[in-house]
Amino acid sequence: MAAKTQVLLIEDDKSIASFITTSLSGNGYRVIHALDGKEGLSLAASNCPDIILLDLGLPDIDGCEILKELRTWCSVPVIVISARTREQDKVNALDLGADDYIAKPFGTAELMARIRTSLRHSYTASPEKVYRAQGLEIHFEKRLILLNGEEIHLTQIEYQLLTLLAENSGRVLTYHYIMNAIWGPYMDSNNQILRVNMANIRRKIEVNPAQPRYVFTEVGIGYRMLENESI
Amino acid sequence: MFKKLPTLPKLQQHLLSLLVSVSGIVCSIVLSYAYYLIDTNSVNIALIFIFFLILVSCNTVGYLYGIVCSLIAVLCFNYMFTYPFFTLNFSISGYFIGFLCMTAITVLISTLTSHLMIQSNLAAEREHQLAEAEMEKMRANLLRAISHDLRTPLTGIIGNSLTYLENQGHLTEDEKADVVRNIYEDSSWLINMVENLLTVTRIGENNLTITTSEESLEEVVGEALQKMGKRHPECVIHAKIPDEFIMLPMDAVLIEQVTINLLENALLHSGSSEPIDFIVENRPQEVAFIVRDYGHGIPKHMLNNLFSGTPSSTLEADVHKGMGIGLVICKTIIDAHCGTISGRNHEHGAEFTFTLPKKKEERLPEEGRV
Repeated sequence: MAAKTQVLLIEDDKSIASFITTSLSGNGYRVIHALDGKEGLSLAASNCPDIILLDLGLPDIDGCEILKELRTWCSVPVIVISARTREQDKVNALDLGADDYIAKPFGTAELMARIRTSLRHSYTASPEKVYRAQGLEIHFEKRLILLNGEEIHLTQIEYQLLTLLAENSGRVLTYHYIMNAIWGPYMDSNNQILRVNMANIRRKIEVNPAQPRYVFTEVGIGYRMLENESI
Repeated sequence: MFKKLPTLPKLQQHLLSLLVSVSGIVCSIVLSYAYYLIDTNSVNIALIFIFFLILVSCNTVGYLYGIVCSLIAVLCFNYMFTYPFFTLNFSISGYFIGFLCMTAITVLISTLTSHLMIQSNLAAEREHQLAEAEMEKMRANLLRAISHDLRTPLTGIIGNSLTYLENQGHLTEDEKADVVRNIYEDSSWLINMVENLLTVTRIGENNLTITTSEESLEEVVGEALQKMGKRHPECVIHAKIPDEFIMLPMDAVLIEQVTINLLENALLHSGSSEPIDFIVENRPQEVAFIVRDYGHGIPKHMLNNLFSGTPSSTLEADVHKGMGIGLVICKTIIDAHCGTISGRNHEHGAEFTFTLPKKKEERLPEEGRV
């Protein structure tokens, strides 16, 4: 049997840490637990974990600082755990290089799904050739998009936008990141053009744009696309 | 003008009043003299003096400036514009009565205007106090609703966990699962309520202002519906939004909260499992969001104070657990957006509507309204 996947949990609240540890162990992960930022950084350096769960509100160092420090020397996936109401914190953490975030309160099922997604993105070196989920297919090499077998026609920008999200399916991408990737760094910070393009895509692929099945909005943060089922 | 004066510091008020008095006197003398060169009718000159005296007493604080000015004016008038010219002489018959009248008129006007000023100050203060009282009332309502709505689930959690701890030995597995499930349900409800309360902290403490940005309507609605789906997987919502792409100025997190609160109320308090309708209408000046359920409707006695946060009778309170805070918060949020919110019964159930203006309105939200 392959070695267990190692998870480093940096969380100061004992009760939350205890339930995360229990459920992770139950799902076959090995958990190392750090109670504060300093311990977390040294454990990350000495144990080389496969994934890090980082609480943003730590007693000694701000979570974002830890993230910056970590990113100077390693690219291990980091999932940020944060309180729900402060979007700006989440956006900062994501733009600083966190792979994903999960908002308190969360269930174990949601946590496991996020961990799986992040691990998958860090393991697969070459990008997937096909995105497939609930009747939507994107063949990246053929530049072909099929919805229930029928071809969907998108403009250049719409295609780039959708494939960017599909390549990162299951992860949230911030407005800032998407704007940068598609329009380049010199576009102004107003992301209305992004919203308009997204609205057009939704009108082409969603049955009801108010109840999307493929591309979800995280208000104030960015977009998340439904997980790729073909992997 | 006399409305502005009282807001300045005392010393400045007096300096300004002094300036007004001096310039009033000087103006009246200059004008009178100019008139005197054309025509020596002293009645008209007296009128010029009185006109400026009225101006002075309207624009100075207290009686004093008006009275002093009127005395100076009378002296000047007597000295310069009545026979014998350039001497003070009160002895000519008729003159004395004229001077007395002039003094009396200006003193009276000074008194009247300063009285008016005091009145308008008082009115402004009363208005301010009223607004503050409204704010206070809103806070009290919210607090009452909170303590009322939070006590019930907390009691449940404490009771259930004590049951588990004290009777661990002789509870069956099923009973244990039940107890823990109850704790889970109560605490999930609590955390939702706390999130709800936290959103209110986004609204400015004193003037109920918020920072709005242009948001895509379908994205906000979409996320609200998605969250509803996560929280209540069994819930069916028929959503219908306009085909066109609409951007609206709002605080997206807050509007999402309002939408979720109304949908959750429709789900939990309608007493029906019929699908809920969620309709967004694009109107000329505003966008209306309508949540319609097909249950037993809003009880009659609650219709009038739906958004006031006053808990209904204790018997009813447990049945309508959670409606209290939710609706008060909705109202607070929508008011801060300069929108409207209302609830009514239709033929087959309840219907809640809130509207958001399309243009960022110039007027501030009405201060203190809940």
